[in-house]
Amino acid sequence: MMGRKGLASLTSVAAALLLWFVVTTLTGLVSPGRFPSPAEFWQSLVQIATRGYAGAPLLAHAVQSLKLVLLGFAVAVATGVPLGLWMGWSRRAEAAINPVFLLIRPIPPLAWIPLAILWLGLGDAAKIMVIWFAAFVPSVINAFAGVRAIDRPMIEAARMLGTPRWRLVREVIAPAASPMIFTGLRLSLQASWTTLVAAELVGALLGIGFVLNVAQQDIYPGMILVGMVTVGLLGWATTWLLAMAEQRALAWNMAARD
Amino acid sequence: MGSIRFDKVDKVFGPLTGGVKALDSIDLEIAEKEFVAIVGPSGCGKTTCLRMVAGFEAPSAGVVSVNGKKVTAPGPDRAVVFQQFALFPWKTVRENIDLGLRNKGLAKSERDERIASALRLMNLESHADAFPHQLSGGMQQRVAIARAYVLDPEVLLMDEPFGALDAQTRVVMQEELVRLARVNPRTVLFITHAVEEAVYLADRVAVMTRRPGRIKEILDIRSVREAENWDRHQKIEDVMDLESFVHLRTQIWKSLREEKGPLGV
Ligand SMILES: Nc1ncnc2c1ncn2[C@@H]1O[C@H](COP(=O)(O)OP(=O)(O)OP(=O)(O)O)[C@@H](O)[C@H]1O
Ligand SMILES: [Mg+2]
Repeated sequence: MMGRKGLASLTSVAAALLLWFVVTTLTGLVSPGRFPSPAEFWQSLVQIATRGYAGAPLLAHAVQSLKLVLLGFAVAVATGVPLGLWMGWSRRAEAAINPVFLLIRPIPPLAWIPLAILWLGLGDAAKIMVIWFAAFVPSVINAFAGVRAIDRPMIEAARMLGTPRWRLVREVIAPAASPMIFTGLRLSLQASWTTLVAAELVGALLGIGFVLNVAQQDIYPGMILVGMVTVGLLGWATTWLLAMAEQRALAWNMAARD
Repeated sequence: MGSIRFDKVDKVFGPLTGGVKALDSIDLEIAEKEFVAIVGPSGCGKTTCLRMVAGFEAPSAGVVSVNGKKVTAPGPDRAVVFQQFALFPWKTVRENIDLGLRNKGLAKSERDERIASALRLMNLESHADAFPHQLSGGMQQRVAIARAYVLDPEVLLMDEPFGALDAQTRVVMQEELVRLARVNPRTVLFITHAVEEAVYLADRVAVMTRRPGRIKEILDIRSVREAENWDRHQKIEDVMDLESFVHLRTQIWKSLREEKGPLGV
């Protein structure tokens, strides 16, 4: 794990932290009103972690955001992947669904936020809906492309073996498309985080996006940075988990690659 | 069980866009447990013939039937061995072989028994739990053959099954197929570019013309093989040295040569 590459990235992280310290604290090149110093960052972190900020401690905000992302992501994947598989498999399904899809796709997911809030209020449901819309698209597209890229002889072999429809989907089509499906999941997860933060910025009473919003109104750079770092870490952790799941599910494929 | 019949079969690809006539009035009968090889110039429609028996493709005119019944869809009674193996890379060797048996709804004990015997027959016992990518090309093709054989199909369809293998592996596989054909004879439709392979393996060899493919002539190999007792030789190279073998090979070779274009392609 910790080879030459690990050492190099560790060095660059350390260098970035040092640079941060130098420009904000040592030399004062960047004024504290614009970007916080490491000390301010630390104080803000301690404040929100122990006494709380924007109505709740950091943990509660983080759990709220994580919960919404995971729910939205799950709904998007559970609906998007099967739809993509189906469209990939059936030309008729593609012909029926694709036009609607093409019509809706150019609308940026964030543009749905006002409508979602209007329909569902400031609660969790509106945010899950917006995340769903955003994360749905990459899941569908990649599952679709994954099916279309399957070698025809593979499907013919399965049909020659008399494989019934459901087993064909589960044991042949889905695994054959799974490298692409996972690509879609990664993009969906990214979209989920982006959308969640935006939705919480617009209207929420709890969550990291709400922390960022309040800190901005309070002109509190230290807390803004805490929010950014928290969301970054959460995003990184969920991506890492997904990568682990992918590695397990695609062990046959990874091995074939080296 | 397992006879194949082509009855005035035409195949036109893309009839709506001008159309390419791939096959022209193919008539061919393959008897139960007979091994017929088709040779012919590239693009003459050999694969198309096989795919119609498999049920992947429908004739534009005429009828393809198996056991007197018109072929309409693929099925495990007509097992196919593909040139590019077409194994499922996410399944182990055992799981690859098992899929067809599970589809038949057989009990676990019977499946295990059949898989074990197929593995033994193809010398794959020590690789039962390997994934395809961990095997050599020759082994992968043996898995593909085991996957087809284990179904106990009436008809075995092989499209240049050894085309992707190196020369040595190819010889081993050819000998193995002959051995298999003795232990467990099946109706086989076998496609190849290699004339020697066709003569060595088949009871009859059908030579096709250039596109649009027609059956040009059919040579009876079996009567010669039996008359000259080729089977007393274990090794393929010994059979290939026999005068009767050379004679048949040359005959087919000449027939094919007439079909090649001006550049010999
Ligand atoms: N799906 C298809 N659509 C259009 N044309 C096709 C299709 N399949 C085959 N053909 C055409 O039909 C002809 C016969 O093809 P086929 O694959 O049966 O030839 P072949 O004898 O197996 O050739 P080879 O020896 O190169 O494998 C070729 O000209 C090919 O281009
Ligand atoms: Mg071919």
